[in-house]
Amino acid sequence: MGFFDEPYDLPTAADGRVEGVAKVTGGGKYAAEYKVDGLCHAVLVGSTIAAGKIKSFNLDNAKQVAGVLGIITHLEKPLVPGLADEAKIKEARLGLAVFHTDKIFFKGQPIALVIADTLEDATYAASLVTAEYEKEPAKLDFELALKNIQLTPAGKDRGNIEALNSAPHSVEAEYNIKAEVHNPMEMHATIAEWKADDKLKLFDKNQGVNNVQRTFAKLFNIPVDNIEVISEFVGGGFGSGLRVWPHALACIMAAKLVKRPVKLMLTRPQMFHSVGYRPAAWQKIKLGANADGKFVGIHHQAKNGTSVYENFNEGITRVTRLIYHFNNLKAEAATVPLNLSTPTWMRGPGDCTGDFAIESAIDELSYKLKMDPVALRMKNLALEKHPDNGLPWSTNYINECIEKGAQMINWKDRKATHSQTIEGDWSIGYGMAVGAWNAGRGTASAGIQMQKDGTITVQTAMTDIGTGTGISMQNIAHESTGISKSKIKIELGNSNLPPAPSQGGSNGLSSIGGAVVAAVSALKLKIAEYATMQNEAFKNAAAADILLSDTGVSFKTTNNHFISYTSLWEKNNLNILEVEASSGPGAERQKFAFCSSAAHFCKVRVNRKTGKVKIERLVTVSDGGKIISEKAAANQMSGAAVGGIGMALMEEQLTDERLGTLVGNDFAGYHFPVNADAPIIEVAFINKPDPNINPQGSKGLGEVGIIGTAAAIANAIYNATGKRLRDLPITPDKVLLA
Amino acid sequence: MKQEYNFSRRFFLKTSSALGALAFIPKGVKAFYEEVKNFIVPKKEQLPLTISINKKSYAIKADTRTTLLDLLREDLNLTGAKKGCDHGQCGACTVHIDGERVLSCLTLAATVPGKEVTTIEGLANGDQLHPMQQAFIECDGFQCGYCTPGQIMSAVACVKEGHTKSVAEIKEFMSGNLCRCGAYNGIVESIQKVAAQ
Repeated sequence: MGFFDEPYDLPTAADGRVEGVAKVTGGGKYAAEYKVDGLCHAVLVGSTIAAGKIKSFNLDNAKQVAGVLGIITHLEKPLVPGLADEAKIKEARLGLAVFHTDKIFFKGQPIALVIADTLEDATYAASLVTAEYEKEPAKLDFELALKNIQLTPAGKDRGNIEALNSAPHSVEAEYNIKAEVHNPMEMHATIAEWKADDKLKLFDKNQGVNNVQRTFAKLFNIPVDNIEVISEFVGGGFGSGLRVWPHALACIMAAKLVKRPVKLMLTRPQMFHSVGYRPAAWQKIKLGANADGKFVGIHHQAKNGTSVYENFNEGITRVTRLIYHFNNLKAEAATVPLNLSTPTWMRGPGDCTGDFAIESAIDELSYKLKMDPVALRMKNLALEKHPDNGLPWSTNYINECIEKGAQMINWKDRKATHSQTIEGDWSIGYGMAVGAWNAGRGTASAGIQMQKDGTITVQTAMTDIGTGTGISMQNIAHESTGISKSKIKIELGNSNLPPAPSQGGSNGLSSIGGAVVAAVSALKLKIAEYATMQNEAFKNAAAADILLSDTGVSFKTTNNHFISYTSLWEKNNLNILEVEASSGPGAERQKFAFCSSAAHFCKVRVNRKTGKVKIERLVTVSDGGKIISEKAAANQMSGAAVGGIGMALMEEQLTDERLGTLVGNDFAGYHFPVNADAPIIEVAFINKPDPNINPQGSKGLGEVGIIGTAAAIANAIYNATGKRLRDLPITPDKVLLA
Repeated sequence: MKQEYNFSRRFFLKTSSALGALAFIPKGVKAFYEEVKNFIVPKKEQLPLTISINKKSYAIKADTRTTLLDLLREDLNLTGAKKGCDHGQCGACTVHIDGERVLSCLTLAATVPGKEVTTIEGLANGDQLHPMQQAFIECDGFQCGYCTPGQIMSAVACVKEGHTKSVAEIKEFMSGNLCRCGAYNGIVESIQKVAAQ
């Protein structure tokens, strides 16, 4: 059947992202989509209880299914050297050492893996695997469990929190947020192929190929370079791909067992307990201000859910220390162990949760003070230096974000008291909130390969999870070389390429941008070195003085010394010119503090009869330093705002303690915004480069787009209705009952 | 066509006799489920099928349990249609059958002979992208790209159905296609652009 092998020809370039054509034609290959000879399929079997021990398995029925190649359990499995004994398991710090324990920590925990020739056979056989358990009581109710957990200090106190007791105006309230699940559209998947006993090839969905590579090199006791990880197209992450999860190890073990390449794709219900989630959170805030609106201080307490086998502290109070002057500050936190899988970072981790409480409390305080919430924030912003470490901000334009956002939404139309604008059954209101994020940067490497015709290929191991890493690298390479974009190709998401950090925490572009600039400098110097043979003027030339064009090299200031690539290549007998360079943070980190920030403004309609909240307008203005790719950046911000709508109005992972189970673990039960749930999001940028963070001056955007969105919506609902809703998501029942 | 009839009849007979038998055997709940499982879950059976995909005829043997989505992705290496839920809840697997948008994860492969299936791979005319594909690139109607083929197949149908009179109408008729990146701005803009052409 010849058609299996037909190569799929992609139509040629169009105006947009470097991978645009591949994405709109279905030609781009995501982890589970590679054609591998001899491939078979694996399906995980999950525990049916939430706590206890496995007593025995019944695998007989599954084994009888035609096409079944093998079944892995903790009793029968291939050796994983890095998990060979209890001490090694502990040292591996995997969280859940899949198939290496008889203990059950949560419902759905993988207890067996069925491998078969086809997906249908594996799925059917997996449905026949059963186990006997020794059941133990399970805790899944966060709100019940948190009551017995003691808080401990989270960071240093500032001043004395007793000052709050004499503040003339104050707000004290509790905030509850249900767990949210990342649910990228592509379900996590791995294809594992052992090329030799000590050589492994993985097609895997993740946000950092080098992290995956290192993890498995250690577990299987083989050199890092013997593991190839390919993640060229990643169907979203939002944090779920920052860890190496049990299913990937399970797939590799399966490939070892059956001595064939194995594909494992999680099902959507499995996605809810296999790759982390944003944990449920409880918070209490006490916030005080003087009569003039100057904040006296804040007491922020927070607890978040975690699993019984790992302690995940989200860092909810981190953002409390970032945005405003609080001369008196006390932060406390705790984690609450539950019989659920371990949570992980999800877009705007910690800050997103903490910011909702702070920004809701500030809004509430503004009504007590009879002060505009915009003016109240402006009065208290810490614009000069990081309030915690005292370092001056390299740049911080959060005030400009607020001003621009207020203008865009016509903030002056907002009524100073609630419930003033009514249209039929609908109450209309405005709200706003801000968010900020410590802007980071990691050390990354990039490579460039240049051809005789002036075409360059810029390479990195970093993934592009949809943020626009590829087009941004192209833009930076174009900007710093002078070569046309059509002659700049991008290769990424492959561990054979120059190493880069994982793509998370808004660090992706901030890290790789510098590496591209460094690689371009290396390329210029190398070309100058060869050019010196033809023209002495190039001797010891500085990279900054050299200009590359589509056809040749010259000096920036004068064209007199132009040498074509063709002659350069011929004179030096060159084939492909290759350079690689690394770049990372340096002394600037001791001199400055860095943050990205955003202001979110919202106009809502709330139906008084049904409790339905409709977002009429949502404006997001952010300071992410210099914007490298405007369309992709705007897409990031509007997408984050959509995520914020989900957090505010609909996303909640419910649990049932009695049954020990998640409730509604699919898209019928777990809602995130569909197209009609969001208005056209209005996005703007301050777009001023940060001169210190990295060569291109961009600070990262992914997180700030969602930090504050939920509070802006909740604050607008209050302005519309007078109902202060402190528990997320704000579903219609909560609106009606408030 | 004959094969299809045999398959349906056999399946139906097995299922109905199982249900009939169960009414007389009170073996307790567990046994009840075992019986149901044994009869209702179809056993492996290969059917020869002739299917037309993107105007190309494929003569294949397919497992009777295989969905059109799995047939495309696992057997034919046409991975453009995506699996985002496998339950008809996300729209990532949207293809056209006889010109109408259909969820391929809820369509058994055995039901498509005699019909014309169009996937994202068949939308472009050779090197010439379909206007909707071009619009998605120009309007940046995606981020990660995973829901994109389904969005585009739905978008083409949305225009054809004439549901493009307002932003609200486009949003309503595109709400069966989830996008977790939230690229809805660009998706709506792409559809407006094509509808205006």
